[in-house]
Amino acid sequence: LGAPGELSPPTTALFAPPTVTSEQIEHLHRRFKQLSQDQLTIRKENFDSIPDLEFNPIRGKIVHAFFDKRNLRQESDGLAEEINFEDFLTIMSYFRPIEMNMDEEQLDRFRKEKLKFLFHMYDSDHDGKITLQEYRNVVEELLSGNPHLEKESARSIADGAMMEAATICVGHMGPDQVYEGITFEDFLKMWQGIDIETKMHVRFLNVDTIAHCY
Amino acid sequence: MFLLLPFDSLVVNLLGISITVLFTLLLVFIIVPAIFGVSFGIRKVYMKTLLKIFQWATLRIERGAKEKNHPLYKPYVNGIIAKEPTSLEEEIKEIRRSGSGKALDTPEFELSDIFYFCRKGIETIMDDEVTKRFSAEELESWNLLSRTNYNFQYISLRLTVLWGLGVLIRYCFLLPLRIALAFTGISLLVTGTTVVGYLPNGRCKEFLSKHVHLMCYRICVRALTAIITYHDRENRPRKGGICVANHTSPIDVIILASDGYYAMVGQIHGGLMGVIQRAMVKACPHVWFERSEVKDRHLVAKRLTEHVQDKSKLPILIFPEGTCINNTSVMMFKKGSFEIGATVYPVAIKYDPQFGDAFWNSSKYGMVTYLLRMMTSWAIVCSVWYLPPMTRQPEEDAVQFANRVKSAIARQGGLVDLLWDGGLKREKVKDAFKEEQQKLYSKMIVGNHEDRSRS
Repeated sequence: LGAPGELSPPTTALFAPPTVTSEQIEHLHRRFKQLSQDQLTIRKENFDSIPDLEFNPIRGKIVHAFFDKRNLRQESDGLAEEINFEDFLTIMSYFRPIEMNMDEEQLDRFRKEKLKFLFHMYDSDHDGKITLQEYRNVVEELLSGNPHLEKESARSIADGAMMEAATICVGHMGPDQVYEGITFEDFLKMWQGIDIETKMHVRFLNVDTIAHCY
Repeated sequence: MFLLLPFDSLVVNLLGISITVLFTLLLVFIIVPAIFGVSFGIRKVYMKTLLKIFQWATLRIERGAKEKNHPLYKPYVNGIIAKEPTSLEEEIKEIRRSGSGKALDTPEFELSDIFYFCRKGIETIMDDEVTKRFSAEELESWNLLSRTNYNFQYISLRLTVLWGLGVLIRYCFLLPLRIALAFTGISLLVTGTTVVGYLPNGRCKEFLSKHVHLMCYRICVRALTAIITYHDRENRPRKGGICVANHTSPIDVIILASDGYYAMVGQIHGGLMGVIQRAMVKACPHVWFERSEVKDRHLVAKRLTEHVQDKSKLPILIFPEGTCINNTSVMMFKKGSFEIGATVYPVAIKYDPQFGDAFWNSSKYGMVTYLLRMMTSWAIVCSVWYLPPMTRQPEEDAVQFANRVKSAIARQGGLVDLLWDGGLKREKVKDAFKEEQQKLYSKMIVGNHEDRSRS
């Protein structure tokens, strides 16, 4: 895998239980080198080289997620300037597929981790709550592809959705109550019943497996 | 002209002798062992020799490329992750359906809508059209078939000569041999089963029918030079059960039927296939459907259930995927066969692509072209695993049972277990227009919003 001492891939201790094979880590490593243009770290600008990503409406948020220190499991808060391969793998690990032999507790933790990733996407100011403004931002971005859509419509859609979220999380509110924002616990409530752990993954193709036929 | 005469007769004599010798060899070494089900091991020796030649060829290529400083490997364009081609609408509907359980005709913006774009974004980051996979560290060997030359750009003179020799052997020696064998096998099958069909029903008829079938399938196996390794033969399907396998090519039928006696299920075709089918059903009860009957799922299920409940009848052979897949993955199993309630005997078939790619792309090649391609490859090498029998548990429904069987097969054969429908192969997967995705999404949300504000 290249010269020893240069960008040696981390051990599979990151992924416990080890579900990613060394083969797959190699693939990701090659991809990382391609994105970073053979540097040791990636910056935000490097993601500009992916043509298909241009069309994704929440492109900004996805790229942002890679540099979000909360996702990188670092103690401090805020945004990192650049990430190395280990960080890249950490983000990718949010998308690993479910393992057959996980028990209840592991499954629950698995699910919470994935949902936390999505939560961080909404909560851009890192205060642990999704406020109305942040919600509006996401809706506007998602609907930004439609040139005929006025800002007002997008706003009203977001407002409507937020009110619904409030009803689910807090129940009936009095006329004077102000809903501060969706906390992570409320967020979890809204995703109840959706098997995110079976859908939020990217599978590797088993391109090299040739069972021994002789 | 008169000078040519002695040469003429000499040539004719030589031809006559060589044909006789060829056919005698054919008979002794191929047909007789097929009848009795024994093997001289000639094919295994052939396979080992071929492997050695391929390795040598690859080393030559590498050496040659290094000397001349040519780029060795072509970029591999298939990508490294499995992308699911479901549309935006489907995915969002599915997520919403499983979530709030609200009626789908009131689509507001949902919190979960972000998920689709998020995953698509990550997929693009991991692997997009631009990703090229170079496997420079691994030794990919070339099997001297130009149709499988994906990787190697630089071929030396020696190698071209070797390839030319290979073409000669395959087309001028192996192909006629195989066609002769196939012809023998098929005609024996048709005549044999017709003759056996005239016998009265009973043990004798069954015995003869079984052996006629087996014998002819074995000859066909040799006609393709198929080198098959069977694993776990103690799990072979028994009477009253259903044998379920993944489907890569029509050859799958021959491979499985040469090791066991099955009742086939299928649609009656015209032409040669139809003749074979009609002859076979005289000797033993296969389940053939007319084209019109195939559409009627209940009729199909009824006939299959009747067959299965009769314990004296043979195990049914079914390929639930419904279409040929390229042998790297197992797609969705149609649930019909799993509703019948019989014991299911899963079988995993995996082909080794080194000797010849067995996948039938029915939109690209017709049946005859496909068979010719098979007969002009070196060999077909595959492995068959008989998995232990499975039955439907009381708390499972047919779909869950089908998925369980599918996973077992995929795991055994080292194939990827995919969720999507094999039927997608025939429809053009709507590509790109990625900008449309955003417009589509906003239309989904806003369009309905406007409708409601109007009403």
